[in-house]
Amino acid sequence: MGIYAEPRFLPCGDLALSVELGDDINREVNARVLALEYLIRQRSLTGVTETVPSYRSLLVYYDPLSVGWDDLTSSLHALWREARPEVLPPARTVEVPCCYEGELGFELEGAAEKLGLDPDEVARLHASADYYVYFVGFTPGLPYMTGMPERLNIPRLVQPRTKTPPGSVSIGGTQCCIYSVESPGGFWVLGRTPLLLYNPSAADPILLRAGDHVRFRAIDRAEYDGIAAAVAQGTYTTHIESPRHR
Amino acid sequence: MNLLVHDAGPQTTVQDLGRRGSLREGIPPSGPMDREAFLLANRLVDNADDAAGLECTVIGPRLEFADERWVAVTGATMAVTLNGAAMPRWAAFQVKPGEILRLGPAASGVRAYLAVSGGIDTPLSLGSRSTYLRGQLGGHHGRALKKGDTLPLGAPSGGAPARVLEPFIPDYAESPVVRVVLGPQDDRFTERGIAALFDAPYEMTPQADRMGARLHGARIEHTRGHDIISDGVAFGGVQVVGDGQPIVLLADRQSTGGYTKIGTVCSFDIGRVCQVKPGQRLSFKRVTVAEAHELGGAYRAELDHAIHWEEAP
Repeated sequence: MGIYAEPRFLPCGDLALSVELGDDINREVNARVLALEYLIRQRSLTGVTETVPSYRSLLVYYDPLSVGWDDLTSSLHALWREARPEVLPPARTVEVPCCYEGELGFELEGAAEKLGLDPDEVARLHASADYYVYFVGFTPGLPYMTGMPERLNIPRLVQPRTKTPPGSVSIGGTQCCIYSVESPGGFWVLGRTPLLLYNPSAADPILLRAGDHVRFRAIDRAEYDGIAAAVAQGTYTTHIESPRHR
Repeated sequence: MNLLVHDAGPQTTVQDLGRRGSLREGIPPSGPMDREAFLLANRLVDNADDAAGLECTVIGPRLEFADERWVAVTGATMAVTLNGAAMPRWAAFQVKPGEILRLGPAASGVRAYLAVSGGIDTPLSLGSRSTYLRGQLGGHHGRALKKGDTLPLGAPSGGAPARVLEPFIPDYAESPVVRVVLGPQDDRFTERGIAALFDAPYEMTPQADRMGARLHGARIEHTRGHDIISDGVAFGGVQVVGDGQPIVLLADRQSTGGYTKIGTVCSFDIGRVCQVKPGQRLSFKRVTVAEAHELGGAYRAELDHAIHWEEAP
């Protein structure tokens, strides 16, 4: 289990391939995925048109008129040898304010009951941890994170919701995510952030990126409303801690 | 100058060749579902390949032009009229100020493309004019067109009578054979499961949109469950979930997903999948990556000779 001795190159049609570096969800494998992506971008690898990192693999889109399978996989293999976490620039820590109260955290009580904990304790535990963003995807700007205290490990909902409001801070298994657009969901909603994970009218629509660290800050409803208003007016500044070393 | 929308049709959107580089942030490329039909429409009116046009779904719009333009309609078989008079499809023709262009319901195929000389000049979002409906991004205010909308047009470069040669006009009433490369998770299916995908045709279901197309046919058998550690989803990815039925993931797809993908439809055949109506069938044919590259290269080269110019543009 863990990191493969050699990367696997898996075909994804005629314009993409997946570079798989390991067989489970762990920070070390993911850091190598991000490092490989970083090197591809930094070196502007011939023929590569787009990359999509996920937990343990990198989807690489390419133009077969510029580069063939053999040349591409051999240059990816060479970069993979260099793709260590140290090549990555220092990570950011982004503060995400979260209100765990009332209707905003509409499954906090249910989750607490399932976990055999007090709801306040669930919120406190959730906000106490340092989260790591493996990648952003599924819907625009949705971060896939781990870092939760073990006591919050919880099976996913038996019956997924058809609609989850954007900004919902949710947990399932060992993972935490923040829904970025209204979508179906199988995670327990503990609270909501007034920040926009995806803002289509902004020049840079995405709040969080692969490799970021996230700290939740518990806020009350009044502060939630205040921040939401500032976000709507474009006057809110997200707190981003100076880069930290990995 | 601009284009006035008298009737929009159920889902008419502004599209260009798509948004590149945002998938890593969860934003799909969007762009035309039938890339070849879209390209030919642009080329017919002497536009660059990446000029924005309209994708018209199932029923076309009714439009009025404020100035003289060359236009071309390709893709699904929607009857085209100009001030009530029948006009050719897969061919460039001129429209004059005040004239009304109408695209009817699709007799075969699903999506038609309208290119206008000069292109549609809505603002760029993340480098593209393509509409991503679910993300309310790009196109005309991030949404499908509505009656009363006015779309800005770019300066036309010229135009001349032109038509697409007969062999390049698909017959959408036929059931297409669609080439598929196995992977990335073909090792999660039994031999029988893989054979099922290629042995008999699948039927398009009504659950088909710009995100994906759900098909119905022989059950595709997994070796051990359908969940994977979420990974990236390529354009044309054939996802198979617990019910053993395939879903082809398309232009507005989720960037990543947690279900097994048995194969990926070749880029040059994705357009054909997107023209299959609910109830109509399609079949899959297995090719290797090397074969797909050869077929794709040859097809792209052929497309460069698809248009006959009546006179030099």
